[in-house]
Amino acid sequence: MARITFQGLILALQKFWADRGCMIEMPLDIEVGAGTMHPATFLRVLGPEPWNVAYVQPSRRPADGRYGDNPFRLGKHYQFQVVLKPSPIDIQDLYLDSLRALGLDLTVHDIRFEEDNWEAPTLGAWGVGWQVLLDGMEITQFTYFQQAGGIDLSPVSAEITYGLERLTMFLSRKSSVFAIEWGGGFKYGDVRKQDEYEISKYDFEVANIDLHWKLFDQYESEARRCLEAKLVFPAYDWTLKCSHVFNTLDARGAVSVTERVGVIKRVRDLAVQCAQLFVDTRRELGFPLLPAQERTA
Amino acid sequence: MAEYFFELLTEEIPAWMHDAAHATLRQQLSDVFPSAEVFVTSTPRRIVFFLKNLPLREEDREEEVKGPPRTAGEKALAGFLKKNNATAADILEGGDYIRIRRRVAGRGTDQILQERVPRVVESLRWPKMMRWSGGEHAYIRPIHSVVSVFEQQHLPIAIFGVASGVTTVGHRTLAPGPITVTSYNDYVTKLELARVVIDATRRRHVMAERARILANAIQGTPSLDVTIWSQWQYLTEYPGVLRAEFGPEYLALPEEVLVTVMRVHQKQLPIRRADETLTNSFLAVLDNEADRDGNAAYGNAFVTNARFADAKFFHDTDRRTRLEDRLPQLTHLQFQEKLGNYLEKTKRIEAIARSVCTHIGCGDEDTLTAAHLCKADLVTEMVKEFTDLQGQIGGIYAREEEYPDGVWQAIYDHYLPANIEDRLPRTVSGAIVSLADKIDTLAGFFRIGARPTGSRDPFALRRAAQGIVQILLNRDTRQIRVGVAQLIDFALAAHGDATNTQVRNDLLGFFDERIRTLLEISQYGFAYDEIAAAMEAGWAASLTDLVDRVTALKRVRDTPNFLSILDSAKRIANITADHESSRVDAKKLQDEAEKRLNELASSVGEQIDEMITERDYVRALESFAAMAPELETFFDNVMVMVDDPALRNNRKSLLRKVGDAVLRIGDVTKIVVDRSEYRA
Repeated sequence: MARITFQGLILALQKFWADRGCMIEMPLDIEVGAGTMHPATFLRVLGPEPWNVAYVQPSRRPADGRYGDNPFRLGKHYQFQVVLKPSPIDIQDLYLDSLRALGLDLTVHDIRFEEDNWEAPTLGAWGVGWQVLLDGMEITQFTYFQQAGGIDLSPVSAEITYGLERLTMFLSRKSSVFAIEWGGGFKYGDVRKQDEYEISKYDFEVANIDLHWKLFDQYESEARRCLEAKLVFPAYDWTLKCSHVFNTLDARGAVSVTERVGVIKRVRDLAVQCAQLFVDTRRELGFPLLPAQERTA
Repeated sequence: MAEYFFELLTEEIPAWMHDAAHATLRQQLSDVFPSAEVFVTSTPRRIVFFLKNLPLREEDREEEVKGPPRTAGEKALAGFLKKNNATAADILEGGDYIRIRRRVAGRGTDQILQERVPRVVESLRWPKMMRWSGGEHAYIRPIHSVVSVFEQQHLPIAIFGVASGVTTVGHRTLAPGPITVTSYNDYVTKLELARVVIDATRRRHVMAERARILANAIQGTPSLDVTIWSQWQYLTEYPGVLRAEFGPEYLALPEEVLVTVMRVHQKQLPIRRADETLTNSFLAVLDNEADRDGNAAYGNAFVTNARFADAKFFHDTDRRTRLEDRLPQLTHLQFQEKLGNYLEKTKRIEAIARSVCTHIGCGDEDTLTAAHLCKADLVTEMVKEFTDLQGQIGGIYAREEEYPDGVWQAIYDHYLPANIEDRLPRTVSGAIVSLADKIDTLAGFFRIGARPTGSRDPFALRRAAQGIVQILLNRDTRQIRVGVAQLIDFALAAHGDATNTQVRNDLLGFFDERIRTLLEISQYGFAYDEIAAAMEAGWAASLTDLVDRVTALKRVRDTPNFLSILDSAKRIANITADHESSRVDAKKLQDEAEKRLNELASSVGEQIDEMITERDYVRALESFAAMAPELETFFDNVMVMVDDPALRNNRKSLLRKVGDAVLRIGDVTKIVVDRSEYRA
């Protein structure tokens, strides 16, 4: 296997999925905790229109930060997200082929699909699927979405989420994420060690709690205004901002057990309304991405 | 005799669902073909069954077919006969309608299979269903292909629209190509060549053997862990096992942590030495023949080391703070919205434990220290990460802080017993803290109106009550002589709600149900009616006393004497139904029979009192039985329901005096008898 780099993996995965008919989307320019939250997943899995997409998504999880000291845990990591709608019947084989495209000879590895059902209460979403274990190490979350925004999905989308840092670490036999080669002569640590420390410090110790609660209220209220104005993408942007503010408050230790339930509910309500509005607006547009013969009048 | 086999190729089905699915399939297929041999198995992504000794066709049978009324015309009759290929000679006598008997040829087994197999397979209800692609169907996983072969020929069926064939595929990575099959043996053989072992039991045996060999090679044995073993067979199509090592420095971590990480998170099996200590080697499943390049050993070790590194980090961080110093942090950890935080709970547990200690006359400092510290581990990093280890971590840290055995073992054990099969805390102090914690939780939730309903018991209150009952039933050196009623009172007092009779009664009622259930299913083997009879005489002061009384009733009910005990008790109960008093005015006694009965009742009553004090219930019941002849004489000669109220009531009081003796043991009228069993 040629020298494994972080960007090499990304390029290989993008090429693989592009060659199989996926559009390569751009990462979302708002803080999110996972590739699933990008409208290219959360909104597009709703409704009947087909969709095939792949993209890198920076994923921020303030509570997971470790000041850059832990070799595996990061406050921000990168996911490679693939969504295929409707889910093709040979999706598992496609996935294995993607691993082969990264240079893996699967006959000398142990590769298994172990039950792991994904759920996101803030999005009113859940699915059924597996974590993919490569030699005992989880490298991918594989999910058939059943519901999003509280709406049953038809057709069903398959989501494949690769953990890029982990995969790179593992393939290049590095024992710390910061030691992996990013590309262009830079290691992951060269690029990210400082900001990992700083975002941890900020999220755990410095973030202004008062400000964040105020921001939550303001973002929520602006999201509602957008929903009333029937603008789903802006509404959803503001919903995501609420979600990130909550994650920061949580890491900061500023959310009590009682409060947590209430806040999650508020974000969920927004997400559910965005989901419904998305389906409504697409319907009004006549579900334009459906093949001509399937479109209703 | 014919054979049929079937394979459904899907995608990895959760390991824990397979056994139940096999049972359902086996049952349903046996129902369709009662005389056949039914074999059901699966791999993670295939459901397979094989039917042997099938008849080639059903038996022919005769049936009656009803036709037009006899009054209908010739044309109707002719049409009916023609339709059923019958003649006038086939018409049966009698009735308002024409009837003929018809011989129906048995259907071919192939026909029956084609009709029933799809139904049986499609109707399997899995714990979690999913939809895929267009979403037309719901099942456990998407359907890929179907193999259906009857007598070495393809028998066409379809499952959720997927048409069957005679082709399947081999191991996903080692031999993924198509495989055509003719018979079940051919199928099993070809698939094994393609690195798929179809039979789950065979996979399990092979893996067990491989595990033993790998462990023995380093002078160890695999941990006996039934849960993990039973899962392994459904994690791979090829029964591979590998051995790997984690960093030996992690052996310094508490064993409970090491084992939990390996078992629960990774489904790995630790390897132990002959003296039961852990080695730094473990076993893991491998869906491959061999780990040729050592990739799987590397990967498994990598993950395990990473988790242990985390655990070590937590452990080191945790040890910087003493358990005692963690108590203030418990104010930030909520127990329940209306029941306060864990520091408040701790104080209540301490108060209850203190009350119990005073009540049973043990001035145990260890108990109170343990009660004081038992929840401190909830704010450690280790417990936050490994919540299942709560209590155990507290105990381990207390041990590391050099608290005496009586303290750390009590903390360690205080969540026990967690279920009916679980062991009890190993010390009295542990048992007391466990009782205090559980009764505090019960009293708290009942006070806020959160009792379990039907099938919902989100706070595991039934298990908490059961745990209390299990502890109180124990009679070895850890026996705790306190009643359920007493415990409830201690708990309500600790909640500052000592006079809440509503909750007290609710809790007693709740315990009543749990006790009945436990005694019925426990090792005592008591019958429900014996339990009910004994419980009528009370149980809230002592559960061991209750058990002694149930035991006595159980012994006595099979003796010839029992009928007379029962009959006496019944007669007395009927006549004195509305009468409370048992105070007899000797001066009002008139008849000789009355007087003799009264004397007997007094003397025997005293004896029975002594026996009851000594819990010699069998003899007490026998003494009661001995009064039967005198009681009978009384009933023969004395009329109770006389007009004179003073006389009537006195006689009723006399009967009550006689009857009360046994009522303190149990209400024997609740015991169900088959009188025929008692005839000499």
